[in-house]
Amino acid sequence: MTRRGEMLEDAWYMDYAAGTMKSEGEDVLMASHVELSEGARERVNELENIGAAILMMAPANEALPFSAQDLLAMADEEVVVPLSAEPPQEDFVPEALAQFLQRRGKSVRWEFLGPGLKKAMLWTGDDGEKLWLLKAQPGVAIPHHGHNGSELTLVLKGSFWDGDQQFCPGDVEYACEDHEHDIRIDEQGECICLALTRGKLRYDNPVLKLFQVFTGL
Amino acid sequence: MYVALDTQSEGRLGVSSRGLEGGAVAKTAKSSAQLTNTQLVQLIDRIACHRDRQAFALLFDHFAPKVKAFLRRRNVSPALADDVTQEAMLTVWRRAEKFDASKAAASTWIFTIARNLHIDHFRKAARSSRLDEHDPYLKPAAEPQPDDLVSRSEDVETVSEALSVLPDEQRLVLELAFTEGLSHASVADRLSLPLGTVKSRIRLAMNKLREVLGERE
Repeated sequence: MTRRGEMLEDAWYMDYAAGTMKSEGEDVLMASHVELSEGARERVNELENIGAAILMMAPANEALPFSAQDLLAMADEEVVVPLSAEPPQEDFVPEALAQFLQRRGKSVRWEFLGPGLKKAMLWTGDDGEKLWLLKAQPGVAIPHHGHNGSELTLVLKGSFWDGDQQFCPGDVEYACEDHEHDIRIDEQGECICLALTRGKLRYDNPVLKLFQVFTGL
Repeated sequence: MYVALDTQSEGRLGVSSRGLEGGAVAKTAKSSAQLTNTQLVQLIDRIACHRDRQAFALLFDHFAPKVKAFLRRRNVSPALADDVTQEAMLTVWRRAEKFDASKAAASTWIFTIARNLHIDHFRKAARSSRLDEHDPYLKPAAEPQPDDLVSRSEDVETVSEALSVLPDEQRLVLELAFTEGLSHASVADRLSLPLGTVKSRIRLAMNKLREVLGERE
């Protein structure tokens, strides 16, 4: 039997909808997930409706130092600057990630990670959190490993298997500290994932441990 | 545009159906708390199609004090709450034509605008970067089916009722998340509960809301 892994626990969608994600890396990964997954969009919309209902329950007792007319006067004075043309992004990059890259003036630069594997670092957070892209060739196996922290992996292109669970574009896998993975990239084509990791990967194999020193992951 | 309804006409859909005299829309700001989603959608549409300043004034009265109160409850300073409220309302004016009534209720759209601007501020991101063309709610509207509009328009109006049906312990988690801006982990800290308990309360609340909202359709 195979299962499709696609969605996270509701708590993730609540944090996203309420705007309380822990970091910019989480914002970008979740926004990309919501953009690519219809199930995630539905879940987030339900929660945003709750947000809107709670917004409208707020007391309307706050005085504002400006009126609608003041804002319209400001808008009238605005010079409309045409949006600058965006640098072309590769087709697997979702809009939310493209915006993030543009905002940070970053482009995707692939580096060697291992046989059949490439990585592109995108962002490092204050607490050592890393947002990065993984590109893997069809059929590649990523050896048995655990985590010294948590990892979120969003499929952007292609698919991978973790045991009997398949992850397709838009799907997210969450792995916490004690979760052991055994990843195989699907034979059908290359797979590109957006990953957010806290803490280093933990390999059982000492050779891979040594290898890890060079990859920085 | 699909909602080219004459809001000044009498009838179920018109703004004039509740305490309005003919076209004297601007005078009715005080009654704006009673605007239904259908009416709010029409006001946004009047801005999109006709740059209607009276429609903006009505939306301003309906939403701006709520947005500020909402931000203040999240411990945003009065000055920043004013800035974000101003920016959110200006966004409604500038981007009205990007609002897609088949995807979100009017108040949900405005909630997401305010939330995203608030995130931008606390991430110290460039002020105008996040909230732009790529916001999923700001995509050019596909021609919505009439059924979509009806079901969408009822969402937020019934969600607040449905919230009151939830057991207190479940509602409290959602309120802390959306009102005080706490992540689910912070909610667990605040209530001195295990993370798993908070997660299951969120899940149970979502299931219950779906059930209650489903019954009403």
